[in-house]
Order: sequence, then structure tokens, then C-alpha cells
Amino acid sequence: MSVQDILRRFHTVAADPGGQMKKYLEAGEKVVLTAPVYTPEELIHAMGLVPMGAWGADVPLEGSKEYFPAFICSVMQSILELGMKGVYNGASAIVIPSLCDSLKCLGQNWKYAVPSIPFVPMTYPQNRWGKVGADFTRAGYERVIADLEKAAGVKFHPAKLTESIKVYNAHNAAMRKVDEALAVHSEITAAQRSDIFKSAFFMKKEEHTALVEELLAALDTQEPGADKVKVMTTGILCDSPALLDIFDDLGLHISADDVAAQSRQYRADCAETGDPLSALADKFAAMDNCSVLYDPDKKRPRTIVERARARGAQGVVVVLTKFCDPEEFDYPPIKNACAQAGIPVTMVEVDRQMRNFEQARTALETFRDVLA
Amino acid sequence: MLVAGIDVGSTTSKCVLLRDGGIAGSALVDMGIGTAGPERAYAEALAAAKAAPEDIARCAATGYGRATWRGADFTVSELTAHGLGNRFLFPGARTVIDIGGQDAKVIELDAGGRMASFVMNDKCAAGTGRFLEVMANVLRIPIGELEAMAAQAEQAAPISSTCTVFAESEVISQLAAGTPVPDVVAGICASVASRVASLAKRVGVREQVCMSGGVAQNGGVRRALEQALGVPIVWSPQAQLAGALGAALHAYHKSN
Repeated sequence: MSVQDILRRFHTVAADPGGQMKKYLEAGEKVVLTAPVYTPEELIHAMGLVPMGAWGADVPLEGSKEYFPAFICSVMQSILELGMKGVYNGASAIVIPSLCDSLKCLGQNWKYAVPSIPFVPMTYPQNRWGKVGADFTRAGYERVIADLEKAAGVKFHPAKLTESIKVYNAHNAAMRKVDEALAVHSEITAAQRSDIFKSAFFMKKEEHTALVEELLAALDTQEPGADKVKVMTTGILCDSPALLDIFDDLGLHISADDVAAQSRQYRADCAETGDPLSALADKFAAMDNCSVLYDPDKKRPRTIVERARARGAQGVVVVLTKFCDPEEFDYPPIKNACAQAGIPVTMVEVDRQMRNFEQARTALETFRDVLA
Repeated sequence: MLVAGIDVGSTTSKCVLLRDGGIAGSALVDMGIGTAGPERAYAEALAAAKAAPEDIARCAATGYGRATWRGADFTVSELTAHGLGNRFLFPGARTVIDIGGQDAKVIELDAGGRMASFVMNDKCAAGTGRFLEVMANVLRIPIGELEAMAAQAEQAAPISSTCTVFAESEVISQLAAGTPVPDVVAGICASVASRVASLAKRVGVREQVCMSGGVAQNGGVRRALEQALGVPIVWSPQAQLAGALGAALHAYHKSN
């Protein structure tokens, strides 16, 4: 397949997760929904279930307003909205981690708003290091396993988890490689870049890895496009087609990202030897540089500066999900670190209900003028 | 060579024509995007410059409706345009505060006049010209008289800078409590200033500070803003044309 053919495959999946879920269900597979930001997909995979990302969608909010206050993250609200509207019908369960206050509310509200799909909590520790942190995380995984066994009628076997860890490590490696390749290939649009990352949530990882590797091979034979204005994005989500079109219209090339739904997912691997459940807990402890992961040293801003420099990004675009407290807390130190490094920063606020992107267009157009 | 800059704003349309580095004609029409305002502003500016459409070598459009102006060779964001326009009017400008009909922006210029950073308000009428319009309507005072009224105030009444709807009910409460109208008007100006000052402080305020956009004409807001920022603010009677002027300069630079 050509690069464009492969990109179309990614787009088809990214644009129609419902169709993808239906396909798996019709094939007799059991699907488990995985809410942001870090869900132990390896466990779900090891139990023979298909993990399907649930990061909400750009939909009007109606029923979910009965459960949430107005000023709360629209990602959470739209996940509940989709659940209430029956979009996720057929899923065996939803795993919702406890990594921010809004996610905790989502889990509790889900039980009452969508009783047909069992809620499985994944309670992570704030302090994820050392034996105490590992034991706490491991206990959370054991709860997920027990709840999924009950909800989906399947059994967990540690040996299968080792195999799943290998599958996920291979996927992480492929995603890191494609992220590097996309930094060079400016002809791949921001929308296509988003499709590659977004589709990973809706495909079995073996299938996604194979497609990403096919893309990498095809890109190897393709001459990179002409230089554009390189920028780095950071935030929780950056998948709105209207926003991505603005990046493309303005000739902005996303050469790196620090987006939770994109490259942040693929930074840490899991040990493939020893007790797999402990290895998975150790993987969580090794994860870092994320607004929802406790970081007393605030290393994330420095990491963003280093990554922007390494990828030749001329500026950083903070795509701030409205009412996302963890990201809002991180914004000032990110802005300051970039200012000290001489890297211009702009912030664009987004939510799942945005219909008018003119202000975002003006901000990005002006930012391009600042960088050019 | 004659170049044109047109600023299709949310509530007004402005056009400036430049010939040999000087303003040859300009026009401001109180009708914005979605009206005949842009065409009228263009025609009036041409008439002022005693020129015909075919005399225009290049045209750049800016403002909220920049993409809708079919005669544009270039489009330029209103922040870039206001930066260029104000630097032209005030060669020492380092901070530009632009309060328009529906938004507010602060632009930092470096020593060479290049835009270094900027900040825009969120989708909210507080701290914009719309806020003043709503309050003027509540008080039944023409918006052009707010400045003179504010000058008569003995003590500005406290008015919320968070939300136009809350502020409107606060104004009504102040009137019901017998607060003199000039004090209420001064409070309204201070409310806009407070909101915009906090925006400006995010960018960092460097002198010379100049004010752009329609609200620049309101001395009550200007003085309240000077007080809030602790620096003098310069402005030009052509402040409302600064975006169109910047667009014309952009067209000129692109043509040379």
C-alpha cells in the first residue's frame, strides 16, 4: 500500500470508532472500554478482551449535564453522554482510572447513568514509587482483573500477560518510531498525524503495530516534504478536525508532541521478565512528565523544552482542554521554561463542544507570524 | 503605488489606503462582518484618496471577517495588523492594547517592532467594547458620552469584571441603591480596565504602551487602565483605524 492508502486506513478507523467496535463485536470478540489517561490495557488484552479507547467525542451535551456541573472537563462529560446515548452498547465493561478529580466523578456518575455497562475502577496511587507505590498499583490491577473476570466471564492467566506486555512494548516502539519519522515528513498533515495516534485506541495493538510498520516502510521510500514552520503541541487532546485543519492551512508542521492522547502514551515500556503484574506496576512507576502523574520536581516543562529543541520546533502550542485542572496547573511552569529557553509559546483553549474556531485560527495565525 | 488595508471587524469596518508610505485615504463605517459595511468603507476610502479600484496595487484584509473580503490579495491576523499599525503611529511602542467590539488583545513588540508575544481574551464580552455598549444601554446614555460622565465621578462604584451579565445586574443594583450615575460609569470603565490590565500583565507591560481599537477613544477607560497598569498610555485619534493601517502596511511590505 502507498503512504496515502495506509493513512486512509488510519483515518477510516479514527473517524469511525463505532464501526470498529461493531466489527469486533460481530466477530464474537468482547470489548472493554478504556477511559483516559492511562488504563492498563495489557491486562484487558491478556484476558482475551479488546480494549477500545473512550476519550469522548465532539458531541452536544444533553443528558450528561444531569450528572456534571457546567465547569468540568468536556472529555469526561462527552464520555458519559456517549454512554447514556447507547453509543457504547455491547461493551462488556468500562475501566476508568482515578488519575484526576474529574475522572473520579466520571466513574461514580457512570454507575448510575450507564448501569448497563459495568464500571471497573482503576485506583492509582499518587505516590507510585517504591514498594508502597508498587503494592498499591498492583492491588488496583488485581481489582481490575477480578471485576473484569466477573463482568466479561473470562479468566486471567499471568503467562498471557507476559505475552500481552510484549505486544504492547512492540506497539510502543513502533509508535515512537513513527513519531520520529513524522518530525521529518512535513508532507504528512496534522490531521493525518492525529489519525495515526487516534486509531491506536480503536484497533487491536497487533493490527495497529503492523499498519504503523507498513507506514514506516512506505515513508522510507518517500522524499520528505518541503520545510514548514515546525511547532510542538502539548495538552490532553489535539484531535479536533477543525483545529487540525487550521494547523495545515497555516503551514504549521507538528514535529513533536507532548499530548496525553498521543506520544505520552508510548514513553514507558514494561519489563518482559519476572512477575508480569509487578512489572506492570513498575511500568506505571516509571511513567513521568504528565500533568496527571504526581511530579514534585516538575520535570515536565524541562522535558518539553528539550523535546522541542531536539525536534527543531520553533514554538510550542499549548492545546489546553478547558477546565482541565492538571493541565492548567502545569501551564505557568511550561510557559516560564519555554520563555527562559527562548521558545515562543501560545495557548489555545479547546473543548469537545467547540463549533467556532475563529479565535483559535487568529491565535495560531498570529503565532505563525511571531515564529516566521 | 497605492495599497489598501481593510479591517472587517465584528461591529465596524475600516479601510486605509497608503500611497508612498503615507495615508492617502481612510474610512470607518459602523457596520461589521455580514453587512455592506466593508464595501462601503472601501468605497469611501477610495473616494477620500480620489482613487479608483483599479488604482489599488495590492490589498490585505484583517479582522474577524478577513476571509470574507473577496478583494484581498493577502489576509493577516488582526494582532499582526494592530502591531504593525501601532508601530507606524508610535515608533517607540512596545505594548499594544487593542480593545475592539467583541474582544481584547495585548501585543508585545520587541525593540525592532517585531511581534514577540501576544494574548487574547477568551470568548467573553467582559473587558470589551460590547461590555460598554451593554452598560451604556442599561444607563440610557450614548456610548460617546461615557467618558464625560466618568470624569464627573467622585468615587468609582465597584462593578464586576468577571461577567457582563453579572455586571449588568450590579449596575442596576447600584442605581437602585442611589449611587450617582457618574460613579457607576466610572466603575464600568474601571471594570473594563481591570479585566484588560490582567490580560496585559500576562504578556508583561513594557513602555511605551499604546491603545488601539474603538475603546481607545474612551478616556474613562484609558485613564482607568493607566491607573491599573501604573504607566502612561498613548493613543491616536486614528486608533480605530490601526488594524486597517497595519493591513495596508502588510500589503505594502508584501509588494516590495
